[in-house]
Amino acid sequence: MSNIAGKAYAMNVITPIKSYWAWINKLIFWAAIKFPGALTGLITLSLIHYARWVILKDSEFPHLAKEQPKEKLHYTYMLFFSNFNGSWDQYVDSFTFAIPGGLDLFWKWNIRYPKSVTLTPFHKYIRYNQIETIHYYSAYPLAAANDVKAAKQVKTALTQFHQDSQTLSDDEFMAGYKTLLRGLQHDLGDMYPTPIVTMAAYEVQERKYKHEREQAALAGGENG
Amino acid sequence: MAKRNPNISGNAYALTILAPIKNGYTEEQIAYADIVRCRLQDWNNQDYSPMTQVPQTYLCRYYVLDDVYTESLPGADPRSRWLDLLTALPFGGIGNKLRVGMLPKEDHLQSRYLVFSCNFHGGPEGDLDGYLRGMWQAISGQIKDIWGFCYGFEEVDNADKFIAYMKKCQLPAALFFVGSNDDPLPEQLKALYLKQEFANFAVANQGLDAAALRANFKAFIERVQPNDVNGPTWPAGKYTV
Repeated sequence: MSNIAGKAYAMNVITPIKSYWAWINKLIFWAAIKFPGALTGLITLSLIHYARWVILKDSEFPHLAKEQPKEKLHYTYMLFFSNFNGSWDQYVDSFTFAIPGGLDLFWKWNIRYPKSVTLTPFHKYIRYNQIETIHYYSAYPLAAANDVKAAKQVKTALTQFHQDSQTLSDDEFMAGYKTLLRGLQHDLGDMYPTPIVTMAAYEVQERKYKHEREQAALAGGENG
Repeated sequence: MAKRNPNISGNAYALTILAPIKNGYTEEQIAYADIVRCRLQDWNNQDYSPMTQVPQTYLCRYYVLDDVYTESLPGADPRSRWLDLLTALPFGGIGNKLRVGMLPKEDHLQSRYLVFSCNFHGGPEGDLDGYLRGMWQAISGQIKDIWGFCYGFEEVDNADKFIAYMKKCQLPAALFFVGSNDDPLPEQLKALYLKQEFANFAVANQGLDAAALRANFKAFIERVQPNDVNGPTWPAGKYTV
């Protein structure tokens, strides 16, 4: 089991909702797509790589063979998948403290949803309905969502400076270089693993050591 | 006007797969779903996830959905909050019977499902076929290993059949939120490599005169080749540059 891949945490939550309320939820999601301003809170939180909601009733569960029994359920179900940075508590609490209204809007029609305030019932609700990930993969395990966005800024500014600096004098180059660093001061920064907050993070650390040893062996081979 | 694909946001694609696992057991009486779980668990012990080989995969996860949950704790709705007070009614267990009768209903799934949730770069048109073809070409052995116990997978022995099978198992997103950027993965990895290397360069080259700094910067650019995504980069899934 591993909900963690480097700096990313995979959360899976499945919650029941009555079919007639599911339509309201779909309508709210549709409105959020049409009016992206509704998602400003999520963007501001800045700790999510990707998140999605899926709503399905029993007849919509994939049915692949005659011998597969068909699902017969009282409720429709809402599946939530999130890829975020930080620990479980940091993530859940950041919603509660930053955008409780938005969170409640997305879940309020779900059966026995306790609301995001107060914290303890909300924690219990998420824990109870959460499913553990067995295998989680991130293409950039040391990067937070902000690192991915910052890296694009660095690449753009660096290539532009390299191109513009070809004809400059040394002094002009120095001035331009300082301007480049000042402009990128929020985007630079070495990427390191997060502190160990769970045993899964320990496994991440172990894998990092393996990769470092492999890298060192490779470098040794090249030098030798 | 073409209908909007709910799985696409910008150039990112949200793929959600629920593949029903056969309700069977091995000769050793191990449920097929548990075999799937064990095989996925084994991926965690490898130095690199097999998914590193699948082009354009940003993040993905696998889990087994055994069943759905029954809600019994009180929610924020007044009905569920006051329900517990029914136990205070006189005449023995009548109040409690009423309370239990009003609890949410219990649901159970008929099959267990292998859930594969993936975020990948699909471009503005969401090239799902291209992604799945790349997945099959890269890790068809592992795919057969994991999906082999699922209903309807028996016939899958090439990329086209895999694509058709996965589309039958696909669920549309009701809402897909992208908080990262949606560039092609090699672009993202190259940018992360540059960010890491340039941060180290800036630290290591403080206090130099202009000529020395310029010479070092020139050597740095020649080494990192910023415009070549196929040149030095941060390999997918790796914990060091």
